[in-house]
Amino acid sequence: MQKLSTRHLLGIKDLTPDDIELIMATATEFKEVINRPIKKVPSLRDVTIANVFFENSTRTRLSFELAEKRLSADTLSFSAAGSSVKKGETLLDTVNNILAMKVDMIVMRHASPGAPHFLSKHINANIVNAGDGTHEHPTQALLDSFSMRERLGTDLVGKKVAIIGDILHSRVALSNIFALKKQGAEVMLCGPSTLIPRYITELGVKVSHNVREALAWCDVANVLRIQLERQHIKYFPSLREYSLYFGINKRMLDELDKEIVLMHPGPINRGVELSSDAADSHHSIILDQVENGVATRMAVLYLLAAQN
Amino acid sequence: MKILIRSARIVSKNTTLNGLVRDIFIDNGIITQLDELIDVEADEIIEGNNLCVSIGWFDMRVHAKDPGYEHKESLYSLEKAALAGGFSSLALLPNTKPVVQTRESIHYLKRAGDLVKFYPMAAVTVNTDGKDFTEMIDLHEAGAVAFSDGEHPLQNPDILLKTLQYLTQFGGVLINQPEDKNLTHFGQMHDGVVSALIGMKGMPNMAEEIMIMRDLKLLEYVMDTPFGDLSNDKSLLHFSCISTAESVNLIRQGKAKGLPISCDVAAHQLCFTEGDLVDFDTNFKVNPPFRTAADVKALWAGLADGTIDTIVSDHTPHDEESKKLEFDVADFGAIGLETLFAAVNTYNEGLSLEEIIEKITINPRRILRLPIPQIAVGEKANLTIFSQDETWVYVEKNIVSSAKNSPFIGKQLKGKAIAVISK
Repeated sequence: MQKLSTRHLLGIKDLTPDDIELIMATATEFKEVINRPIKKVPSLRDVTIANVFFENSTRTRLSFELAEKRLSADTLSFSAAGSSVKKGETLLDTVNNILAMKVDMIVMRHASPGAPHFLSKHINANIVNAGDGTHEHPTQALLDSFSMRERLGTDLVGKKVAIIGDILHSRVALSNIFALKKQGAEVMLCGPSTLIPRYITELGVKVSHNVREALAWCDVANVLRIQLERQHIKYFPSLREYSLYFGINKRMLDELDKEIVLMHPGPINRGVELSSDAADSHHSIILDQVENGVATRMAVLYLLAAQN
Repeated sequence: MKILIRSARIVSKNTTLNGLVRDIFIDNGIITQLDELIDVEADEIIEGNNLCVSIGWFDMRVHAKDPGYEHKESLYSLEKAALAGGFSSLALLPNTKPVVQTRESIHYLKRAGDLVKFYPMAAVTVNTDGKDFTEMIDLHEAGAVAFSDGEHPLQNPDILLKTLQYLTQFGGVLINQPEDKNLTHFGQMHDGVVSALIGMKGMPNMAEEIMIMRDLKLLEYVMDTPFGDLSNDKSLLHFSCISTAESVNLIRQGKAKGLPISCDVAAHQLCFTEGDLVDFDTNFKVNPPFRTAADVKALWAGLADGTIDTIVSDHTPHDEESKKLEFDVADFGAIGLETLFAAVNTYNEGLSLEEIIEKITINPRRILRLPIPQIAVGEKANLTIFSQDETWVYVEKNIVSSAKNSPFIGKQLKGKAIAVISK
């Protein structure tokens, strides 16, 4: 059996192109599995996975939990609000307490960039990064790539992908950039100049501040949420102005006179970055992304468990 | 106590002694003989291959954690770390708890230290909060060697202006780290390619450079006083911990204009770059942050041409609880006393040994208006004996400081202090 080159999924940065291909192929198989009448396989029986979420999450957490259940893993979930974190316990102590209960794998979301990397130096369990601050969100990028391939019917070599929105505060953007470049796609980032990291072009991406230009250029538009909760200081004047000059509606898509794939990692701020008629249009594969999220995460968990 | 140093090469730039290999005999703290071969009974003999000797090393930027944060490092542990690193004297920042802003605090620090002499700096503003001035003349009289708000650099230009004006009355010096906090807010590391790559908020070079530009302008205003000529050869404003190529340029230009300025660089700044942070190792989290290779090159050039006067450790002890954490919640700072000379000697780009030693002996004392020890018969011995060639690996378990937060752990270094004779 083919194996991943890593025993954790800390970020797309650490994956080889072969790793990505392996995950895509495995996810294809699992997508077939979850569309069967009996959706459950025994692959991870007797593997215990803890979902440790130090930041709010609905979609990602449910998706991981479902993926784990479909693989017959034993799971426990934990969110910071109900934990001892607020009593001042360190991250390492919290996780070590969970591991003391004989847990094999940790799925963690955390507000600090590098938090899963820090953990990986101090614990033995496999770690899946479910989002670390403004750094990476690898499973989101993998499911995005999977969804693009599915809709386009090909691999991503030479495909043009625009990532539009709040790039500065987005772990989805960074993981997508790494994933897309490793698969041979071209990437353009589009957003207000204050929300584009100054040195990002060093990663081999184009930058635009004009949404129409980005839409005209791309095959796929991956639209990101404005992350108000991460903006400790002012980056733009108002949501009204943002939606007027950086928001996307169906008319803009229809006027392009070409097929375009519209994506969004959710949750959507309807009427801000995407109008409802665009989000619900035939261009959109937003709900496919959610379905593919389960299959992709099953693939990641399955392949990491096979490393032990 | 009689100590004999055997066959040590004297390192002392621009003196007739420089380069001579001599025996030195110290009797009860006084150099009583200095000759090619001294035949005398001694309680202790210091000898070895290729020994060097210079006047005692001086580090003018050290974060003392005592009183208030002794769990990070006590003065006792600080002294041991200083001796291990070859330092006979340290100037201490005032960021203790309470802040060094009273005569009592100054006396506490001056009394401490057995072999190492501690020179306290006093705060410029009460509790280093940048608002009300401390009693600077009184603190100067009590023995404060300089004024600084240390970890909390002055932000308000009017406060900085008035501080400089006030210090001219008694020939004091302000030590300030140039950093515009509005531009480094929430910053974790250098604002550059690596911060983009790892999703970390950056601290741009200009946050430092803007402050240097501004402070030079304020200093020009102070010097251009109608009350009489203030010019002398002493620094009035010392920029501490500079880290960018443009900072070096700005200070070079300021010196060319004849402004009374000086500056230092932290030794670790000469050895590491932003690229060292890709693994989120909090021992590399320092302020100012590690910059680019081009900045490091410019810092070495600034040392070589005399723009940068002195090299400091910026020794900042932290306990495990402040560092074994997620990167963005860990504290800034690294220890550096034990590795300063070795780091500079190992990563050296273009400095002679004499120049390195001058920057950690004579220059800091000049900036702080302190007497400069001499290697001569009849003088009080204040000496550091060291090897320039010894290679060693800095291993965590051998760290003398009670804090272990060093980016040099595991690194092979060349050059080592062997002994300090002082007090």
